[in-house]
Amino acid sequence: MAVKHFEAEVRREPSGAVLDLRGEINGFAQEALDAAYAEAEKENPGAILLNFEEVDYINSTGIALIVGLLARARAAKRDLSAYGLSEHYVEIFNITRLSDFVNVFPDERSAMGDRRQQENLKPEA
Amino acid sequence: MTDRTSQNEEQGEQRQPRPEPRDAAFWAKRVDKLEVSAVPDGASNVNVHGRREVGALQGFGQLWQKTYRVRLTGVETTPEEAVRVWKERFPELQPPNSRFYPSMAGVAPGEVLFISASVGGMPVHTGVRVIYADDESFTVMTPEGHPESGWNTFSAYADEDGTTVAQIQSLARANDPIYEIGFRVVGATEQERLWTHVLKSLSAHFGVNEPVSLEKTCVDPKVQWSQIRNLWHNAGARSMIYTMTAPLRWRRDRARRG
Repeated sequence: MAVKHFEAEVRREPSGAVLDLRGEINGFAQEALDAAYAEAEKENPGAILLNFEEVDYINSTGIALIVGLLARARAAKRDLSAYGLSEHYVEIFNITRLSDFVNVFPDERSAMGDRRQQENLKPEA
Repeated sequence: MTDRTSQNEEQGEQRQPRPEPRDAAFWAKRVDKLEVSAVPDGASNVNVHGRREVGALQGFGQLWQKTYRVRLTGVETTPEEAVRVWKERFPELQPPNSRFYPSMAGVAPGEVLFISASVGGMPVHTGVRVIYADDESFTVMTPEGHPESGWNTFSAYADEDGTTVAQIQSLARANDPIYEIGFRVVGATEQERLWTHVLKSLSAHFGVNEPVSLEKTCVDPKVQWSQIRNLWHNAGARSMIYTMTAPLRWRRDRARRG
């Protein structure tokens, strides 16, 4: 089976920075993931959202990379949430107990909505 | 909000179930607590059955990522072959003061490996569960009471010149304040010696004598006081009590038989 390489892009949204993740999260994803996270942190957002909608493979090294991001976010007192995880990856977040610390949402709308609630922001017109 | 969000919303309403990812078979099933049905000869189940698993975020101490590597230079072996040997010979690659007891199924997703170690002369009975295993890696996660809270991933890969590199990456923090003090005083060095020994043993199996490199990063320097209750499960303390009360259990069992 062909290996799908990993890519990550940063989007700025009013409720925080969104990292759009694509491909396979394994040991080879480290450089791109770290670089994207550093880019997302640049404007000191209150929250960073990880978008897993286009991620189709995560191994245990990939989970460790996500834990690394979470540790960085917690050290900076920044919210880290995830959305777009398939049922399988929600289960992996439970197995590894990542879900104790990462808020998992079904989609971007609900993740953003939760964030707005937290910040007491009014919904956009 | 960007246009993309509204597109996503529309897509979300029509979303089809996603196919099972190819990593699905490599992950263990979720368990609320570890359940042990059979204990290998020589192993102790004193701190395993009924314990919850704990990851790198649930422990007390500083969070460290440590990566140990050895190059299997001059050997025609693939990463898959190196990991196959590693899984099969995992117990015998350990130093004498750290004994691992795999189940009959060996290193496979969901299996528990029992550990009996000697730390500073004191017995520590604990275990780990294999949460992930594929052809090129396997990962174990610790239970409550284990000195560390987190994961160790054992893997192999081919580097730029095609040489197979065996790697151990741990992402863990001390489980409670006693372990944290222990790690800061001497435990971290002992642990580094342990994993260096394992990589040296693995490379020796392939007839290689190369140095083991170590990179370490403190991912989170803060201790988590919210986790101080982890002390209750401290496997070192419980193992010591278990060992000291062995004569009482022996007398009780004898009385029951008698």
